[in-house]
Amino acid sequence: MSLEALRARLPEYAKDLKLNLGSLATEPALTPQQRAGTFIASALASRNAEVTKALVAEFGAGMAPEALTAAKAAAAIMGMNNVYYRFTHLVGGDYPNMPAKLRMNVMARPGVDKLDFELWSLAVSAVNGCGMCMQSHERVVTQGGLSREQVQAAVRIAAVVHATAAVLDGEDALR
Amino acid sequence: MLTVGDKFPSFTLSAVKPGAEGLGGPGKSFTEISDASDAGKWKIVFFWPKDFTFVCPTEIAAFGKLAGEFADRDAVVYGVSIDSEFVHLNWRVHNDDIRDLPIPMLADIKRELSSALGILDKQAGVALRATFIVDPEGTIQWAAVNGLNVGRNPQEVLRVLDALQTDELCPCNWEKGHETLQPQALFEHAG
Repeated sequence: MSLEALRARLPEYAKDLKLNLGSLATEPALTPQQRAGTFIASALASRNAEVTKALVAEFGAGMAPEALTAAKAAAAIMGMNNVYYRFTHLVGGDYPNMPAKLRMNVMARPGVDKLDFELWSLAVSAVNGCGMCMQSHERVVTQGGLSREQVQAAVRIAAVVHATAAVLDGEDALR
Repeated sequence: MLTVGDKFPSFTLSAVKPGAEGLGGPGKSFTEISDASDAGKWKIVFFWPKDFTFVCPTEIAAFGKLAGEFADRDAVVYGVSIDSEFVHLNWRVHNDDIRDLPIPMLADIKRELSSALGILDKQAGVALRATFIVDPEGTIQWAAVNGLNVGRNPQEVLRVLDALQTDELCPCNWEKGHETLQPQALFEHAG
């Protein structure tokens, strides 16, 4: 399944999402790799199998295999970190100072440009809803040289992919 | 005895190869392992006093059982005593616990490595039950030593390795009010 097929699956009431998906697929603020990885990492974070299959089919083919793996790794590791650090940020107290004792070594060697990996981590954090994770990853990518427009583009992709997944979950439930 | 922060000494030792290969017999069983082998890996180097003694095979087999866990953590395990590679081979052949041992047994027959590390028992002249975790740059990150008769818990070594490798590398670890993350420094640290 391709992006076109995925867009065709969206019902009339979600037409805005359908159009947003189409325009973000060629969003010029991001490099092709940044864009592709953001779509794929956001899809994995959004947990709908159809969306994941379609977006990996559409964007994965154009990526270097190690970059595709890194996009998956961003979704995987942030799936853990967003939950853990959201807890420490929200509850506070001593928790933020306690060592996490969780392995997250992939972040040191993601196998792809670290700025791209950070951008994908930011998109996943947006989907998973960890406020301070978003703040801190945004800080890293902007200090690393990405513009506000590039960050915004990644988060716009995350938002639309997440909403698409939710719509398809709902449509599947009502089928 | 060398400790955390010290450079692990350089060495070149004959060794019995791990697994089935090691049982091939003289000419096939042996290899040479040096400090340059397995570059880029973490290294667990553990010593025992003498081959064919009682505490040792249990302990060595326990390290062997965890070889896969160590491999998953980009670590190799070397077992060492001051016995020769021929004695090691003989022991492998004759002991059920270590016949299939998936880690190499190194022969520090000239006691050079044990001496450099400072782990020779002063009376017995054999290596104490010392264990070292060495990082990919060759620096000792953990050192522990037991007397001749006290066995070790390899699971504990695995736990320490996990702790050594568990850096909170995620920017999510940032806290409000703390010094701003330096992305360049972060990338350099990670690189």
